[in-house]
Amino acid sequence: MSEDARVGIVLVSHSSALAEGTAELAGQISGGSVRIVPAGGTDDGGIGTSAAKVRSAIAAANTGAGVLVLPDLGSSVLTVRVLLAEPGKLPEPGKLPEPVVLADAPFVEGAVAATVAAAAGADIKAVLAAAEEARHARKL
Amino acid sequence: MPESSEAAITLAGDLHARPAGSLAVAAAGFASAVQLAVGVTNVDAKSVLSVMGLGATAGQRVVVRATGPDASDAVAAVIGILARATPVGG
Repeated sequence: MSEDARVGIVLVSHSSALAEGTAELAGQISGGSVRIVPAGGTDDGGIGTSAAKVRSAIAAANTGAGVLVLPDLGSSVLTVRVLLAEPGKLPEPGKLPEPVVLADAPFVEGAVAATVAAAAGADIKAVLAAAEEARHARKL
Repeated sequence: MPESSEAAITLAGDLHARPAGSLAVAAAGFASAVQLAVGVTNVDAKSVLSVMGLGATAGQRVVVRATGPDASDAVAAVIGILARATPVGG
């Protein structure tokens, strides 16, 4: 894997502030070499999720090594699943980042673990595994 | 035969989130398996959440062990990051 093609991370939250804050934290911990794109809140800035924001975040996170999408809760997951199930809804059909994967992981821990793995040059499978292992991480 | 290497350091400051991230990124750059031990607890140095979960604090002795083709370089890199854990941290 080339040094500049790192897996990108998209953080999908009902809250714009939560997505942005988590992106900032993960970026600080991982050293800033990974594209972490927040997609939080509705199009008018309320609490909820926006397919349009997720779509453009996936495009922005893509550097050629794939994109991991991490949703927070409930309808964030549904929004991402609908997008991934309908490739026509993704950015620029034919120029999709390959692959795009949905992570089943806790939001903050998964974002940090995935971003650190991506910063180390891990491929999309290893980044997904790092995010999902976060389900078992203990704080104490 | 895989090379093995080990070194220890007493932390001058707590192991905060950002140095834990630097440590995991650095460790993951080596082919060797790299472990950190504090007391009887052993963790994979390539897992940032495990490194944070160690909760290593100032004054604790951390042992770094690596096994693999680049074990001694891996240990040196990780010890270097632990040596920069300062009392103010971050």
